[in-house]
Amino acid sequence: MTTEEPHTLAGAYALDALDPLDSKRFERHLAGCAACAQEVTELRETSARLGTATAVPPPPGLKDRVLAAAARTSQHGPAAPARFPRRIFLVIPAAAAAGVLIAIATIFGLASSDANQRLTQAQQSSQAIAAVLTAADARMMTGTVSGGGNATIVMSHHMAALVFTAAGLPAAGGYELWLVGPRGEHSAEAVTVSSHGMVAPMIADGLRPGDHLMLIAEPAGGTVLDIRL
Amino acid sequence: MTAQDPVARDRAATAPAGLAALLVRTARGDAAAFEAVYENVAAAVFGVALRVIRDPAQSEEVAQEVLLEIWRTAFRFDPGKGSAMAWVMTVAHRRAVDRVRSVQREAERERRLPVEGTPYDEVAEAVETSLEAERVRRCLRGLTDLQRESVTLAYYGGYTYAQVATLLGVATGTVKTRMRDALIRLRDCLGVAT
Repeated sequence: MTTEEPHTLAGAYALDALDPLDSKRFERHLAGCAACAQEVTELRETSARLGTATAVPPPPGLKDRVLAAAARTSQHGPAAPARFPRRIFLVIPAAAAAGVLIAIATIFGLASSDANQRLTQAQQSSQAIAAVLTAADARMMTGTVSGGGNATIVMSHHMAALVFTAAGLPAAGGYELWLVGPRGEHSAEAVTVSSHGMVAPMIADGLRPGDHLMLIAEPAGGTVLDIRL
Repeated sequence: MTAQDPVARDRAATAPAGLAALLVRTARGDAAAFEAVYENVAAAVFGVALRVIRDPAQSEEVAQEVLLEIWRTAFRFDPGKGSAMAWVMTVAHRRAVDRVRSVQREAERERRLPVEGTPYDEVAEAVETSLEAERVRRCLRGLTDLQRESVTLAYYGGYTYAQVATLLGVATGTVKTRMRDALIRLRDCLGVAT
């Protein structure tokens, strides 16, 4: 590439006709040029049509091989952290974990306008929560939620369960709490967020080592928190 | 954003949106969603690999790599930055081109250089029954010879713009310009919505 206007490379870039060095340079240019990025998006849509126009039914064995390979392949390879730029976690000893969680629960109870209802709900699962908090292998993790807020998790692999609570979430919109296994198997639970952006301690069971805990913002489906447990 | 015909707009509003939702679910580890993604994209992925690589066995291998990459990296798909199919085809085309170029580095390809006028005819042969292919072929026909050859050598042949310039005997700057002009004309002709 010469010193001439980099913009002229948009077509070649959208056709994958740049060598790796030119391609990297052009991507740097794109990062600072919204109009260029928009043009590249449109030209990519266009070159994709050149591709879809050549569709040919794949050999019959391909599907089984792909699905079998996917079942063996983790989605969270070395490149995965780029997706979650705000992963800041602390691991705190169990005793402290229990204290912090109870403090959060207390704050929640005091701050919530519907405190009684929440406390009742919390009490219903309090035995399960207490069991996790007092488990010998209990560990606490905290994470920063994209878009605002903090989440606290206390988990026990021995109990195959975790307690999740959060504060400072954006009031608008709902969330789902997902536990996702290495082969994509998962469970999901709706998360109730108070008008103050808090989530009362809730229990999620079926935890397996290596699971990811994800907080998914609905309805957009964005992952706002991902913690490997 | 450009003017577009109603058919293209309808397609952009329905099918790709469904695929986007499936990719988002795939990113969360939903195996059933991934199977549905496979059904939606496998023919396009295999087709573009076959068109670029030509050898069926290698094309199948690359198609499998591409589909697995989609499973692994579905989280990179950003619905705000283009359609799901464009994202899939970008992954597929890059892999196919990488394969061709790595083979090319070791030895010259056996492939004969395309002669004037053939690339888009080959497209027509491969996909004679597809309405989409017919539209693409019609729009390719609307380009100048140099624009069409620049685009088809790059996209279907996997050549870099510098190689295309050598093949066509024109300056690299000319090829770059023709590629961009050609895609802009194709975009408008195909009614590409973003």
